[in-house]
Amino acid sequence: MAVALIKERYQNKVGEVIIGATAAEGGTRTSVIKVGGDAALPFLHFEGKIENRTVIAMEVTDIPPAWNDIIKSQFGDVLNDPAAWAKRCVEECHADMIYLKLIGASPEGENRSPEECAKVVKDVLAAVGVPLIIVGCEDPEKDNELMAAIAEATAGENLLIGIAEQDNYKSIAAAAMVHKHNVIARSPLDINICKQLNILISEMGLPLNRIVIDPMIGGLGYGIEYAYSIMERARLGALANDKMLSMPMICTVGYEANRAKEANAAEEEFPGWGDLNDRAILWETLTATALLQVGASILLMRNPAAVRLVQQNINDLMENA
Amino acid sequence: MALTGLEIYKQLPKKNCGECGTPTCLAFAMALASGKGALDACPYVTDEARENLDSASAPPIKSIKFGNGSVLGDETVLFRHDKTFYHPTTLLVEISDALSDDDIQAKLDEINGLEFDRVGLHYSIDGVAILETSGDPDRFAKVVAQIAAGTDRSLLLLSENVEALKAALPSVAARKPLIGSATEANYESVVNLAKEHSVPVIIKAEGIEALNTLVESAQKLGYKEFVLDPGTRNPSQTLANLTHLRRLAIKKKYRPFGYPVIAFTSKAEPLAEIAEASVYVSKYASAVVLKASAKAHVLPLMALRQNLYTDPQKPIQVEPILHSVGEVNENSPVYVTTNFSLTYYSVEGEVEASKIPSYILPIDTDGTSVLTAYAAGKYEPEKIADALEKSGVAEKVNHRNLIIPGYVAVISGKLQEVSGWKVIVGPRDSSGIITFTRAM
Amino acid sequence: KDLIASYGFHPLACKVNIQCTEPTLTDNASDWARLSLELKRTLPVDKPLGISLSVLQTLPEILRQAHWDLSITLTDLESGYTVLRVEPANTRPAYGIAIDIGTTTVVVYLVDLTTGKIVDKQGSYNKQAQYGDDVISRIVYAVDAPENLKEIQNAVVGTLNVLIDDILKRQALQPQDIAAAMVAGNTTMSQLFLGIDPRYIRLEPYIPTMNAIPAAQAREIGLRLHPEALVHTFPSVASYVGGDIVSGTLATDLTNSEEIILFIDIGTNGEIVLGNHDWLVSCACSAGPCFEGGGILFGMRAMPGAIERVDIDTESLEVKLKVIGKIPPIGICGSGLVDCIAKLRKAGIIDRAGNFQTEHPSQSPRIRITADNKEFVLAWAHQAGGDKDVVITENDVKNLIRAKGAIYAGIRSLMQAVAIEIDMIDRIVIGGGFGNYLNIHDSVEIGLLPDLPQEKFEFIGNSSVKGARLTLLSQRAWNEALELARKMTYIELSVGTTFMDEFVSALFLPHTDLSLFPSVEGKV
Ligand code: B12
Ligand code: SF4
Repeated sequence: MAVALIKERYQNKVGEVIIGATAAEGGTRTSVIKVGGDAALPFLHFEGKIENRTVIAMEVTDIPPAWNDIIKSQFGDVLNDPAAWAKRCVEECHADMIYLKLIGASPEGENRSPEECAKVVKDVLAAVGVPLIIVGCEDPEKDNELMAAIAEATAGENLLIGIAEQDNYKSIAAAAMVHKHNVIARSPLDINICKQLNILISEMGLPLNRIVIDPMIGGLGYGIEYAYSIMERARLGALANDKMLSMPMICTVGYEANRAKEANAAEEEFPGWGDLNDRAILWETLTATALLQVGASILLMRNPAAVRLVQQNINDLMENA
Repeated sequence: MALTGLEIYKQLPKKNCGECGTPTCLAFAMALASGKGALDACPYVTDEARENLDSASAPPIKSIKFGNGSVLGDETVLFRHDKTFYHPTTLLVEISDALSDDDIQAKLDEINGLEFDRVGLHYSIDGVAILETSGDPDRFAKVVAQIAAGTDRSLLLLSENVEALKAALPSVAARKPLIGSATEANYESVVNLAKEHSVPVIIKAEGIEALNTLVESAQKLGYKEFVLDPGTRNPSQTLANLTHLRRLAIKKKYRPFGYPVIAFTSKAEPLAEIAEASVYVSKYASAVVLKASAKAHVLPLMALRQNLYTDPQKPIQVEPILHSVGEVNENSPVYVTTNFSLTYYSVEGEVEASKIPSYILPIDTDGTSVLTAYAAGKYEPEKIADALEKSGVAEKVNHRNLIIPGYVAVISGKLQEVSGWKVIVGPRDSSGIITFTRAM
Repeated sequence: KDLIASYGFHPLACKVNIQCTEPTLTDNASDWARLSLELKRTLPVDKPLGISLSVLQTLPEILRQAHWDLSITLTDLESGYTVLRVEPANTRPAYGIAIDIGTTTVVVYLVDLTTGKIVDKQGSYNKQAQYGDDVISRIVYAVDAPENLKEIQNAVVGTLNVLIDDILKRQALQPQDIAAAMVAGNTTMSQLFLGIDPRYIRLEPYIPTMNAIPAAQAREIGLRLHPEALVHTFPSVASYVGGDIVSGTLATDLTNSEEIILFIDIGTNGEIVLGNHDWLVSCACSAGPCFEGGGILFGMRAMPGAIERVDIDTESLEVKLKVIGKIPPIGICGSGLVDCIAKLRKAGIIDRAGNFQTEHPSQSPRIRITADNKEFVLAWAHQAGGDKDVVITENDVKNLIRAKGAIYAGIRSLMQAVAIEIDMIDRIVIGGGFGNYLNIHDSVEIGLLPDLPQEKFEFIGNSSVKGARLTLLSQRAWNEALELARKMTYIELSVGTTFMDEFVSALFLPHTDLSLFPSVEGKV
């Protein structure tokens, strides 16, 4: 007797967001990225079309970051040159996008002006053809000013910019609206707050297909399970036609995974944990692969070795598509 | 589908006598519906009700126990947010009998060393999968004996050759290993062997259809201690198969698939293999057989497993340890709040916006808001003082000023007394923090 | 529906007139034998008949003064009759009192036990308020020092005695005329009224001392009624679902209903009961007192001077108010607040999360940023009854959103516990002092009440005192109340994540899940 397999019928798909614009579309990118659009749970090809593969955006900062040596040593000198660094990510690591963090703008640090930052952005845009994700320095006031300037300077490029949060979403959403970019909407590990933010932003007039959800993940070993479940619920919600949850999701994998002690502590210090290098690579890799299983659409990563592994994992799972 | 509390309630005696340990029949029914408690606790259920309820409450996936405390299956949900995943994926590392004795010993030593301590938790690898690739039953028996002598972890004996299993099993049967694999070609003898020694057995076929047929035939042998292996070894197909099996078992209570499932990795390169295994740990494998055995490779996978099998029914809480916002220094203010995420994040957001690098100490209130915690006696001065001391913040700042939420102004005197810190009552709502810091 | 009639009129105390024969040398039975013989003949039911020593002590004199023509007041319970009072024949009825002890207010009804009529009523603030506004601070006070419990008990008994004295004076009655009392209150109020240590109500796992409470004599408690009048106290279900809710549920007739009823008592706590004749579940969602004006800068109860309706011009943001008593406004009451939130939202002064939009296109001076808050001016000082501008602040709005979110989340949590859908609810009964004035339309619009047709809603007012009166007048209703408390299943909202999830999704106007509010969704 044949087994009647269960194939869920969903009412809706995950919304599709397009990032980047080619010359024909008014930008300068050589490729555009589509994320979301899936009609099934992650990688369940038998159930519905997995429209777009998950992409990896590699993290680049405008000033050299305070990362661990395992990652820094893989990049060497280019860390001082965001454009060269971005180029390396795209050419050698095959990053689908570049995630540019303008930490140099921080008033507590170099306090770079929006103009200086815009220049870095321009340099990176010139160096690579892939679309960019650009965020500020996590100082809400500065970011409002900074991102408005960046949005303007990159008008037409259709980038993904951030970060809109519940108590500070207006100016960035407005900037994205005026200059035609997409927005990252971030909410702390709560599916309802995530929805609220999406409603608030969309009520300002930004279309839903210009929002990407950042559910604020926890890294492996440090609360990843909360993100795992929230993302799984969001994906189920999207498929069940909850419009305010149907945006693709972006995950700050590199940041969270590399904050963990396990990604930084030397073997001499913790002999029981084994070799640091592989451990650090896997810490970031598994943070990513676990979240792939619950619907991550954009992975923001750092470690080139982990990027390779995750790319391979995505390829494997996209087989039989 | 499982019965709801109300549906179960309809079958209960409705005496509300409380003898089952819950105050009312409906409360008891709800406990049963959520898989807590046993029908036997009620002395008054009728036989008819018992019959109806027993079949409805039979677990959708059989629990299979083997080896040294390994439990597979007995899961009740598809998504961990629905309830919880109960039995963490059993992780086994394989050793082939084709290796030299020395290599086997070396690998075994490495496996035995897979014990980890992190964040106050202890992880250890569950067992060893002994693979017959030598083609020689005697060799297999010898290696099994050698490994059994060298470890007390759970064992999996893996060969499709009945003779090899027959040679190896008797000497370790008392350890109750899992054996496999019963295939279409050999299932009668393998299942009967398992039955004879009362050990669980893997039923393996290529794909769902074939597996269905094979399980149905195997069940006819009068034995049901099964673990399923849907064959295919590529990640995408394995994910699909694991999902199909779990869904049919849970959503349809489809009996032939009401058994735990084992997955085997296909990648040879250890890092890629761990990445592959993470898929199966996430999605529905009750056991995974690995080749990798280096600490640095196994630890991340074990951390993932531990994370995913925690109880999701707890409110989201932040860790009740000292948090810092910005580049803190010895003058940074110290705020106390609770570990309820909603509370913590509203405070953190405002503190951040105040642009003054600060410490925030969330007290463990079981994830409740300030006033709910205070109401329930979970925000007492003694407890706060204790947490303050344990946090070590006293060594980090050169002042002794503590800012508490305005809603609990009543505790300030007592807190000052028991902690020795000067207690400053902050605003009631966190939105007042910015103005408050400016006025300070 | 007349619940007294349907349960059967059978008060817990009664009064009968009898004429005994005078004793003679040959007919020489004792006074009590003579009295009880005649009583047995007169009383409708044959059950044990008792008398206390104190009544016996005065008996010989009264019998003779009255020339054996007597009015006898008896406690009438299933277990038997007890003579409470013997007096010369008269036509005055026996009285009982029904009491609702609320955390904030206390209400007393004087009930004629022969007709069942409410003869008089009076309410006042609970004098326990001097020890704190909410139950938690009272518990904290009560257990702080050994003498405090007695003190706090005296405070509520004192409050009741003042009310009773007032009524008695008005009705020209004596304490002895009151033969029975029925008390409904939340668990803390009941325990404090009876002088029972309340500390474990507050502490996890929140355990009350008892559910079924034995009747006490008025003199044991110090209530100025007939000293031997029995004072019955409604049983509680759990620490935060008390006798007031059992009483209120009884008054909704839920336990005889085929239909599924949702009963919401919007007091300081927000208790909810869902069920029908077959099953019922309850919870306490701790909404807080803001619907009674508590915790709101200009909040007040619904009395003269309270704003009860608000209209805001969406362009100019000019305001029109309806004030109770048609006098200049001094504050805003619960129904005004609910209306106000709906209107602030419509005018774009707040967003759906309750955040003030300080850059409103109108640039109206009514939207202001203060030192530590944002506010909207409802009435300028010169129009108001006080000397300050009457405002609603962002904190007020957030507080209200939390309160309404807690209530809605409580409703959803109960529905989930029994796996029923919103449209399976046939009737929604709203109780609580505030319940009388609530505007359903506004309440749905802000997401306080489920989006169901208006005709399904109904107000019951102070359900707690209603239930108390009902049980005073019907022995069967009282039995039902005891049974009801036993079978009501209490759902602890602090267990699991259901409530919290629902709560956070309800911290929005009207709700994060707009599909739950189809009638509102269309409009915004
Ligand atoms: C949701 C809720 C619950 C939930 C619990 C949710 C949770 N995880 O905490 C449940 C239903 C489980 C619950 C239970 C109880 N609750 Co309750 N609950 C509420 C409610 C509605 C909202 C609380 C909330 O989430 N606030 C949001 C958070 C973010 O607020 P917060 O923690 O106070 O933090 C704010 C400020 O304090 C400040 N802040 C925080 N930390 C710091 C630090 C510094 C330094 C500064 C300056 C500021 C600051 O910033 C934050 C944002 O402004 C309130 C009433 C209301 N309308 O607010 C009652 C309330 C807190 N509960 C109350 C009570 C009494 C209880 C119970 C004990 C009894 C009951 N049922 O009513 C029970 C106990 C458990 C049980 N038996 O169920 C009372 C407390 C009264 C008191 N005097 O203490 C309240 C006020 C309601 C009331 N008046 O009756 N409750
Ligand atoms: S023991 Fe049985 S009859 Fe008694 S309350 Fe429990 S379920 Fe009901």
